[in-house]
Amino acid sequence: MKILVPVKRVIDPYVNIRVKSDQTGVETDNVKMSMNPFCEIAIEEAIRLKEAGKAEEIIAISIGNQQCQETIRTALAMGADRGIHVLTDEILEPLALAKVLAKIYEEEKPGLVIMGKQAIDGDNNQTGQMFAALTDLAQGTFASKIDIEGDMAVVTREVDGGLQTIKINMPAVITTDLRLNEPRYASLPNIMKAKKKSIEQKSPADYGVDIAPRLKVLKVMEPPKRQAGIKVESVSELVDKLKNEAGVI
Amino acid sequence: MDNLLIKCRDSLESIGKYTDAAKAQVKKLVMEDGKVSKQLMAREQHAAHGLAWIATYKATLTELFNWAEKLESENKFLETEQLILQFAFSEYLSQLWHGIPMSQLEYARPQDLGLKNGLLTELSTSSVKDLMLNGNEASDRLKLADILKDSFSSKNFGNLGLDETSSMIIQEFKKFVEDDVVPYAHEWHLKDELIPMEVINKMSELGIFGLTIPEEYGGLGMSKLSMCVVTEELARGYIGIGSLGTRTDISSELLLIGGTEEQKKYWLPKIASGEILPTAVFTEPNIGSDLASLKTRAVKSGDDYSITGNKTWITHGARSDLMTMLARTDPNEKGYKGLSMFLAEKERGDDDNMFPSKGMSGGEIEVLGYRGMKEYEIAFDNFKVKGSNLLGGEEGKGFKQLMETFESARIQTAARAVGVAQSSMETGMQYALDRSQFGQSIYQFPRVSSKIVSMVTEIMAARQLTYFSAREKDKGNRCDLEAGMAKLLGARVAWATADNSLQIHGGNGFALEYPISRLLCDSRILNIFEGAAEMQADVIARRLLASN
Repeated sequence: MKILVPVKRVIDPYVNIRVKSDQTGVETDNVKMSMNPFCEIAIEEAIRLKEAGKAEEIIAISIGNQQCQETIRTALAMGADRGIHVLTDEILEPLALAKVLAKIYEEEKPGLVIMGKQAIDGDNNQTGQMFAALTDLAQGTFASKIDIEGDMAVVTREVDGGLQTIKINMPAVITTDLRLNEPRYASLPNIMKAKKKSIEQKSPADYGVDIAPRLKVLKVMEPPKRQAGIKVESVSELVDKLKNEAGVI
Repeated sequence: MDNLLIKCRDSLESIGKYTDAAKAQVKKLVMEDGKVSKQLMAREQHAAHGLAWIATYKATLTELFNWAEKLESENKFLETEQLILQFAFSEYLSQLWHGIPMSQLEYARPQDLGLKNGLLTELSTSSVKDLMLNGNEASDRLKLADILKDSFSSKNFGNLGLDETSSMIIQEFKKFVEDDVVPYAHEWHLKDELIPMEVINKMSELGIFGLTIPEEYGGLGMSKLSMCVVTEELARGYIGIGSLGTRTDISSELLLIGGTEEQKKYWLPKIASGEILPTAVFTEPNIGSDLASLKTRAVKSGDDYSITGNKTWITHGARSDLMTMLARTDPNEKGYKGLSMFLAEKERGDDDNMFPSKGMSGGEIEVLGYRGMKEYEIAFDNFKVKGSNLLGGEEGKGFKQLMETFESARIQTAARAVGVAQSSMETGMQYALDRSQFGQSIYQFPRVSSKIVSMVTEIMAARQLTYFSAREKDKGNRCDLEAGMAKLLGARVAWATADNSLQIHGGNGFALEYPISRLLCDSRILNIFEGAAEMQADVIARRLLASN
């Protein structure tokens, strides 16, 4: 079985985000970038399935600018077998991403597609679901545990009320939640091996996909600065302030 | 500063001329009949070592400049990097003029070299003066302090100027260090414990011990530069972790340089996999830097050797399996020619039974810092070594074989120094940001943030000189001079950084509970081991004076 794992290049989670002065987006020039943490979890899960003998090949895909190659290379160093890089300088919306992935799915015919439940840049949480709709695959979102039983996948999902376990037909798409696993770090031998693994370069046009944005960003703003707190003298003053100033009770 | 790169390039030319003038001056002091005189060199040590430091500054600024130019060509020479370059040039040019601290008590001043006319004509150019007088403005320093504060959460202290593979190595090793080293290092130190075997096994899995060993001998055949970045990152976690690789590096270098094909094939794969832990056994109770006069005897009986003598400062001496040991095979030859190198096998010991092997006894030397592998003194009494374990199968080559490994060992030690310094700086900065006094974070006080700015600047300078040495080594070029300079500077930077970061901690830094207390102790060794600062300066000075 093949596993497809899309990996997204995002601003490193530890970087302080800056909004561009023209309010069209956030500053990404010369900012440290990393693999989206949920995508790391997806790669890790694919590797574990391969190590358990449930999969033969892991293909890491990234859609974006030239530097996305580095993100694919990280996935290869962790243990993915080969990469597909769909080169574009546009920032794709979830629907466009899902369409490109659907085309790759048709070509590769994997048994599973594992992807992060969301990327920490846009926090959209849509690509996996849209991809499932376009390909008509079963979906197991917010996975905190995955088991393969024959041609079925047993997915434990983190839902509001607790955990929900579902059994879905494969091929399927599974999106990963935070507690699914702890991603490994690449060892030196694997970093060296990754240099020799192939990354196939494609463009959205190769897949005949319309990637034009459907959404319009009006404005991106910094969150309001936190105000300094005050000390109150008594409980009644606290209640008064909560009622009349904060308006929360 | 406008035209920064141009001014720096101009200044480098001036520094080059000044270094030449300083060298000519020192030559007048120490040369006799066209040769360096032993007596004069001993008498004029301060001047000669001053020359070594001047040349070290020249090399450091040159490599920092090359780093900046490369970044500039990639459009990555941004404000952080510009300010680092500017401060480094401004500060080091001022020190060249007014005195370089060789230690806290000893300055290398122009007059110490006999340049007493008060006019350093070579350093009296407009670029030098501009950088020196205007390159270190308080407002600029506050600017960098602000940038650093903003990027602290992502641990960005300036672009390192590395390629994609090296960057990936750092990124992956950072995860290992943050997860498996940083949370435990201080406890290992306080309890004076050996680094747990589980951690060493994990290091084996990550490929650390086979890093530079060629693939045909079971290693990864990676570059010295890779070794540098790995070592720096590991030492940032804990000096003991960063130094575990040093032992394998020295022993594998020795084997590669001097071993027979059979010895290489037998030992290198075992070292690369971490199956055997090596240790270096050279120093004796009364013999440190003057290695050529070692007394430990290796007497041949039949095919094998019997070793008798006392060794000391053996790092990881108990829990190791293979000793690369220097001993005298020819008692009639008192100097280095009588020494041979052995690959002496021993049984692995532990805290309860340190030296189970027959003919070995000894004890632990309690130390201030650099724990984790522990230090030992070991007595050998008719300790047996197989004849086939004489390195290279030939007697009398030991000293030369060892000397050839010094380049690598210096680079490695410089990288350790940079890593420890980085750790101290980050620890000091974290404390400064968290600690609030007089209603604000103490980082807001320029005397605090300015210390961090100086640390970041000097660490980057020492790092770039270290990288340069490694890259030269990878190209197959001789780099003992630069490697020695990188070690010399790196050690001073590490100590200054730890001391000043502790100062930022105030009284809390004096409490054992705070990791900065350990970093101070760990930093102290860097100026001593692998060539004490004075010996290092001496070696550099002699190399300079021997050249035209």
